[in-house]
Amino acid sequence: MLAYDWIEMLLNPTRSMLGFIIGLLSTAFLQSACSSVPETQRTDQRDPYEGANRGAFAFNMELDTHVLEPAANAYKRTIPKTGQHAIANHLNWTGLPATTLNSTLQGRYENAGVAFLHFAVNGLTLGLAELTEDPKAVNSQDFGQTLAHLNVPEGNFLMVPFLGPNTSRSLTGKVADTMTNPMSFLKAGEAAQTMQSLRPTVAAVSSRAKMSKALDDIKYNSLDPYARTRSLYYQSRAGRINAVVGKPNNNQTNDDQFESFFEDPS
Amino acid sequence: MMYFSQGVIGSLKSKDCRNWAAIFCVFIALFISLPAQASSQIEAANRLINTMVRDVESYLLADSGDISKRTENITKLLDTHFDIAGIARFSAGPYWRAANEKERLTYTQSMRKALIGTIARNFDQLVGLRFTIIDSQAKGSRMVLVRGTFRDKAGKRPPVSVGWRVVTPHPGPAKVLDVEIENISMLITQKQENIAIIRKNGGRFSALIEAMRQRQQTQ
Repeated sequence: MLAYDWIEMLLNPTRSMLGFIIGLLSTAFLQSACSSVPETQRTDQRDPYEGANRGAFAFNMELDTHVLEPAANAYKRTIPKTGQHAIANHLNWTGLPATTLNSTLQGRYENAGVAFLHFAVNGLTLGLAELTEDPKAVNSQDFGQTLAHLNVPEGNFLMVPFLGPNTSRSLTGKVADTMTNPMSFLKAGEAAQTMQSLRPTVAAVSSRAKMSKALDDIKYNSLDPYARTRSLYYQSRAGRINAVVGKPNNNQTNDDQFESFFEDPS
Repeated sequence: MMYFSQGVIGSLKSKDCRNWAAIFCVFIALFISLPAQASSQIEAANRLINTMVRDVESYLLADSGDISKRTENITKLLDTHFDIAGIARFSAGPYWRAANEKERLTYTQSMRKALIGTIARNFDQLVGLRFTIIDSQAKGSRMVLVRGTFRDKAGKRPPVSVGWRVVTPHPGPAKVLDVEIENISMLITQKQENIAIIRKNGGRFSALIEAMRQRQQTQ
């Protein structure tokens, strides 16, 4: 749920002090993640690093409470709806090259073409205004889905500080996808550079504001927010993977779980 | 001898023919009855969803923000259209079998109360939405997945795809077991959360009941 695209800072820690701190924290997290929980003590078999993951989740929750939630509330209060739409449009636009590339790698050439067209046309306003007729025509694709298409195993569940829930495969995909962000190779002067450096923060606040009701429900009403986040992540990810490769690998579909429920008479 | 063997072959043939004819008839009957059963299952599920949506719309129209009245309406909605016993059994996962009768009853009551609270908290979000069934598929002989879309009549919010898992017992009325929003099953989410709580507490079902009780006290 806390899928913040701050990985760009992780890739280039010299960009800012914050990036450096994030880099350090992530390294510390990855080192602590090496100690896995025995199978019998796991609350989910896909989560061998549950102890470290819960630690990272607690950190993300603190960050959310003290930084993101107030920032998202202020964002909703102060930025007019049209401005919020423009920001969301721009963030979607920066993901279009990744969709073009990944759709091509998956052999979904029609989607690749549509994504490229949307990127080119909306690029006239850096994606701030939707100049194309139907933005829903593009089915966004990431490198994690491409890896699934290539039968790369899903890997373990990882809760990453600042980035939120991932699997090893989807985290690898996120790293690859940040390299296709158009703002990282656009040399259009100071304005573009400022947009690029602000992008991760804006993306985090904007997505927090968009999902405020759902996130607040997890934070304040669930019995185990970590387990709920993990379940929501896996199901949502399975839906996306399912759209690319058919049945998600290493995972029971929702239908399978209901079938076994009806087979069990107890 | 030849007559004898011809007779035997003849009788075998006619016996085979009768067997084949019987098997053929059974298959034909099966193929005719299966789609008929599936279509009646689907009809029952669609009817339930349409009735439920109509009930929700009428409650929303009458909703004045009075929490006790809203809770009363939601309770009625839940008890009429939802399979509470099935939801309780599914959401407890494999630990349902280990729970005793008293624990099962307490859990079912707590879960029903939590469900009413969740719907009451989010009931406002349904204002201005219209649900349309897109397709319905039988999933085995006891369940139908009714897929549809919630659309904002004002067009301000993007459409949301929703799937209703409806149990269709024979005999008995169809009831909603699960709601799936954008590929996320509410019941599976709850089940995985419950399992995590029970496992964290050494497999004790009572730990889940205690966690639910504590949560309800703070809400």
